[in-house]
Amino acid sequence: MGGLRNWGMLSLGVLVAVLLALPLVVKNSFVIDIFIRILLFAFIGVAWNLIGGYAKQLSLGHAAFFGLGAYTSTILQIDFGVSPWIGMVCGGVVAALASLPIGWLCFRLRGPYFAIATIATAQVLMLIFLKFRDLAWGAEGTTIPNLGHAPLMMQFEGKTAYYYIALAMLTLGLAITYRIERSWMGYYLVAIGEDEDAAEAVGVNAPRIKRDIYMISAFLTALAGTFYTQYIYFIDPNTAFNFSVSIEAALVSIVGGVGTLWGPVIGTVLLEATSALLQSWLGSSGGVQLTVYSLILMAVILWRPTGIMGFITDVYQRRIRAHGGSVQAVLDA
Amino acid sequence: MPEALVIRNLSKRFGGLRAVQDVSFAVNEGETVALIGPNGAGKTTSFNLVTGYYRPDEGSVSAFGREIIGLRPHDICAHGLARTFQVARPFGGMTVLANVMTGAFLRNRHIDAARESAREAIAFVGLSAKEHSAARDLTTIDQRRLEMARALATQPRLLLLDEVMAGLNPSEVDQAVALVGKLSKRGLTIVIVEHVMRAIMAVARHIVVLDHGQKIAEGNPGEIVANPDVIRAYLGTGYVHATAGGT
Repeated sequence: MGGLRNWGMLSLGVLVAVLLALPLVVKNSFVIDIFIRILLFAFIGVAWNLIGGYAKQLSLGHAAFFGLGAYTSTILQIDFGVSPWIGMVCGGVVAALASLPIGWLCFRLRGPYFAIATIATAQVLMLIFLKFRDLAWGAEGTTIPNLGHAPLMMQFEGKTAYYYIALAMLTLGLAITYRIERSWMGYYLVAIGEDEDAAEAVGVNAPRIKRDIYMISAFLTALAGTFYTQYIYFIDPNTAFNFSVSIEAALVSIVGGVGTLWGPVIGTVLLEATSALLQSWLGSSGGVQLTVYSLILMAVILWRPTGIMGFITDVYQRRIRAHGGSVQAVLDA
Repeated sequence: MPEALVIRNLSKRFGGLRAVQDVSFAVNEGETVALIGPNGAGKTTSFNLVTGYYRPDEGSVSAFGREIIGLRPHDICAHGLARTFQVARPFGGMTVLANVMTGAFLRNRHIDAARESAREAIAFVGLSAKEHSAARDLTTIDQRRLEMARALATQPRLLLLDEVMAGLNPSEVDQAVALVGKLSKRGLTIVIVEHVMRAIMAVARHIVVLDHGQKIAEGNPGEIVANPDVIRAYLGTGYVHATAGGT
């Protein structure tokens, strides 16, 4: 088992080194852009995975927090001249606070009803930002004033800096997940996901645990919202609260493996790579690439409902059994 | 002896159905009390009322001197009342150890300490060999064992067992009876809902009989089997079979 851990640490070290060195080697900004998107959506997936994967509360409304993060930092920046670095944290706090009433409303519903309710909250927020022009810039949105190279305002020449920011966010998300997974909180989340009533019977305060993890998830998702707005220099309700953000957050985790540390990362790499490759092969017009993409998605979900991580764990366990070893490492983490 | 559980005039209606009507009884500390009655008598409903899953329409329940009506299930568990479910509800995707650790975290949030006390509870119910099996792969009796271990890990003072012997074969029933006896020896107060008469006679010295939501009798096993109301309502002509091990 010690050897196994060393092997894991080694491959993690190699991965980190490769990711850190990547922008120094790859100069093509199209490729860097793909990597930034992968890192960003992996991060959103990791944030979603806390509530949607571990606790199995299928939220399809994480765009609400993404959008709140984006709008909070942008309003602070444009109207008050506050740096988006500060705005980012403020956005996280706003989203975390917003998760309280949203959770209060939605968590009384279970299963598909919960999912529907979360979709509605993101839609309502989008409508609010569309209709009330005083609040922000209404339907037409606004561009972020370009200050050139201004690191303190989260603006950079070239894409390399954005790449590292996205990498740092993903690392943060993974570190938080790692800590939670290995604490009482992780056990409680999985127990709630398995059977909420039974969890209550052994002293798990399910509403409170769900509320807390929803707050953490919302906070992290909002950071992604700020980053994305700064990255594309534009915000409007439709990009900030787009349903596809909610879908993507859930999808990358489901494909990669819900309730696992690396699931959302693997899922994002797989989906983004597939989508990028299909686009370059089939072109982005006519929707052929979307059709093929959807077919692949269906195949993965039918073939491996536990996601890629579930598949890897299965193979790994079989191999260990074949060698007469212990399966302890896999099951007890 | 001080009273562990005092139930007074407990009533619960579901629409027109009176599931529990004006039921009162008390359980002394260290005692094992059986709650029996035919299907639909209100046994499981009473459990759900005591453990906070349902709110009674009337009545009060106090445990170890504190009124617990209105508390949420996890608060009641924290107060020292642990339960099992009629149909075992393990966290299927987790290992046996992880299941029981989830219970142990109630008293100690440290992962090593929780693992330690979980292992103790697992050993107590005799599941140590399957510590690393996924809970969903366990046999029926092992799932019941797991539920007991998980409940024990919360360090309860009062254990409510809901038909832990249903679906077990005669030799498994003997094992389960032995386990309940062992729990009782440890000083735990136990309320057990059971259908298997042989098991009840073996573990309980005090029996409460429910029928159609009402308490129709209460007493020691000898009194209960001789009580004409009980025989009419519950045992009937099937009593002969019941003592032979089935219902």
